[in-house]
Amino acid sequence: MRKILFLLVLWAAPLSAAQVTEDPLERQMLDIAGKLRCAVCQNQPVSESNADLAKDMRAIIREQLQAGKSREQIIAYFVERYGDYILLKPPFDQAGALLWLAPPLLLIILGGSAYLFLRRRLQAPARDYPALSAEDQARVRAVRGQEKIYQTRRPE
Amino acid sequence: MLSSLSLNLIELGHFAAYLAFTVALVQGLAPLLAHKLRLPSLADISINAAILVFLLTTLGGLTLIHAFVTSNFSVLYVAMTSNSQLPLFYKVAALWGGHEGSLYLWVWILTLFTVFVVWHGRRRYPERLPVILAVQGWLMVGFFGLILFLSNPFLRVFPVPVDGRDLNPLLQDPGMVIHPPMLYLGYVGFSVPYAFAMAALLTNWNSELWIGHIRRWALIAWGFLTTGIILGAWWSYYELGWGGYWAWDPVENASFMPWLLGTALIHSITVQERRRMLHAWNLFLVITTFALSLLGTFLVRSGVLSSVHAFAVDPGRGAYILLFMILVLSVSFGIFLRKGRYQQAEENITSVLSRESFFVWNNVVFTLAGACVLLGTLYPLALEALTAAKISVGPPYFNAVMVPIFLLAMLLMGIAPLVPWRKANADKLRRRLLLPAIIGLAVAVLMWLVFPALYWTGPVAVGLVGFVLGMLATDFVRAVKQRRRQLPHEGPVLAMVNTILRNQRHYGGMVVHFGIMLIAIGLVGSGLFRLEKSVMMAPGDILEIGGERLRFDRVQQFRRDNYLAVQAQFTSLNSGYTLAPERRRYPVQEAPTTEASIHSTLLRDVYAIITEPEGGRWGVQVYVNPLVQFIWLGGMVIISGLGFSLSYRVRRMIRSPATVPASLS
Repeated sequence: MRKILFLLVLWAAPLSAAQVTEDPLERQMLDIAGKLRCAVCQNQPVSESNADLAKDMRAIIREQLQAGKSREQIIAYFVERYGDYILLKPPFDQAGALLWLAPPLLLIILGGSAYLFLRRRLQAPARDYPALSAEDQARVRAVRGQEKIYQTRRPE
Repeated sequence: MLSSLSLNLIELGHFAAYLAFTVALVQGLAPLLAHKLRLPSLADISINAAILVFLLTTLGGLTLIHAFVTSNFSVLYVAMTSNSQLPLFYKVAALWGGHEGSLYLWVWILTLFTVFVVWHGRRRYPERLPVILAVQGWLMVGFFGLILFLSNPFLRVFPVPVDGRDLNPLLQDPGMVIHPPMLYLGYVGFSVPYAFAMAALLTNWNSELWIGHIRRWALIAWGFLTTGIILGAWWSYYELGWGGYWAWDPVENASFMPWLLGTALIHSITVQERRRMLHAWNLFLVITTFALSLLGTFLVRSGVLSSVHAFAVDPGRGAYILLFMILVLSVSFGIFLRKGRYQQAEENITSVLSRESFFVWNNVVFTLAGACVLLGTLYPLALEALTAAKISVGPPYFNAVMVPIFLLAMLLMGIAPLVPWRKANADKLRRRLLLPAIIGLAVAVLMWLVFPALYWTGPVAVGLVGFVLGMLATDFVRAVKQRRRQLPHEGPVLAMVNTILRNQRHYGGMVVHFGIMLIAIGLVGSGLFRLEKSVMMAPGDILEIGGERLRFDRVQQFRRDNYLAVQAQFTSLNSGYTLAPERRRYPVQEAPTTEASIHSTLLRDVYAIITEPEGGRWGVQVYVNPLVQFIWLGGMVIISGLGFSLSYRVRRMIRSPATVPASLS
């Protein structure tokens, strides 16, 4: 390994400086690979994984791009083989619907209950708060050590 | 050769751990017995028990560390996660390099917190202290049970391996050494408010008396959790070599969920403290935050994340964890549902336009955020377990759902601090919001004009950052001006310092908000303006990215400590700095790792990694990540703001109350 590398360096050194540019195909490939999950990795897109499977998948994407296939066709190709599991963004279908509907629904439920809570508290007649005993009051002051807050609240 | 005493010291630790388990049981039982037998003095046993458990657990932990340092491979766990060639620093840190040791660290920190609670509560709340300790005692029993019976780091192996299997190379990084303890200090820190809440529910403890304590403990836990999360992102950025720092990985989400709920908690607890409201809701938040901390620990530690089936590979551990979670949840929420409203009387809201109602909206946003992350993390697991259908929920989903929620949170951040308690004057508020709103709008429009192709979240986020920063600045200037009107003899600098010092809690919080804004800037910059190139290069070639010209100089190979490295060198033709990304091979674990090389400036990072050689050329990936440094900077600002806010009481104890000027109001 070491010898090979050494030879490699020697061989490579005399090459004249050339500016390398990124192959636009490579960018397209990485774009598509970024949408797909590396099936054998833990939560890693194909574009970032070093697993053999991910390398193969990148090669397949590259080939298919060269063959003139569109982005959708290539993604469909992988979905056909691996199922929706391969998509990092779950599709809106039977299995994924809950995922997409839940956030807005939760917003409505949580926001609605907060609204109702505030409205009820706003309308409710002032309730008597049980007075603390003198002993408890002294304790509260000691615990908080911040009587100042009450004295210095600005009248707005 | 090791002496036999040194070799067998671990057995002493093992014994100490069993004793700790037993004493923790006593700690949990003592107040119960005291209650049943009507012998109040019995409850105090739990205080001594708590100290003893800590000492025993520490003894156990030290023998484990000793086993690591002396490379005692007769201990299975040491043989699995360490190696004789491992640098000393990482030998110690290898304690939390695997499941068994991580759980041990968890319980060790729990006993440490318990001792702090003893120290804190002996004079302040002596009659409730045993109950609080008992709650923590039961948690210890649960964890020690898991550690000793199913996941034991003290187990021995025979024949003794010649050498250890080494620590996972990815964990051999300073960031990873501090990240887990910080995270655990955060998780476990939330056990203190939790124990307070349970004790309050069980003993009808008047909330006026415990709310201040819970708040401080929750803030401390939140600070550690924040540090842990940011360190985790930092480690991911520097060590994992993928150019990013946050992947919405379930492991990350596991720590993010308690953070979100904890953030809701530290805000809403203020409402209870100042306005005697949301009492039951805060108890709910405390319990949920801790439950999510437990879930976080177990999600990461049970192996359920890699696959639902990994859970079944070790059925004992999986079943125990599931059972323990169910027990904690059902007992906690059972008690909560039965007694949550023990303190019925609450104050009413004077106006919708008040600080308290904005805190309620804050809670809506953060609870929503927490629920969405929980759903996205658990849904694929639940779906697979129930229907065998497999789906992936990756970053595209989380970004689509979470970014709008964050934007909503930022909007609240820009308005709420200006709204006073009880009732705001709408005209005054409108006037105060005018300038920040103009600033925000101007920045957003500018952004949109300069980068019209940007996704809509870009200009909106930048506009909101402008809005919040404008609010923070104008609010501070207004406070300083007011102070100078009242105390004209004070110089401008002194007036500024005193304005902050006289309202430490408020400005501490505003510094934290400022830190969050810095992070938001970093996220927008690196999230929307990142450049990347992936090319094959031979030495001598030049790569151009974002105006940066990098020359690939050479590749060299060397051996260091416990790994072999291939190092490439790049020179920037613009500014002369060099980058030296590496590929490392750790012979024991046979796993290659990529070491990114990063040139950081405040405005942008140039981030390079090398991949595999092919036909005399090397795979090179270069990223230009704008503004990433703002994220780490923001993290430091957050922690300083929090520390400043928390040091409030300490200062007050030092200064005598007589020196507080009456003119403050």
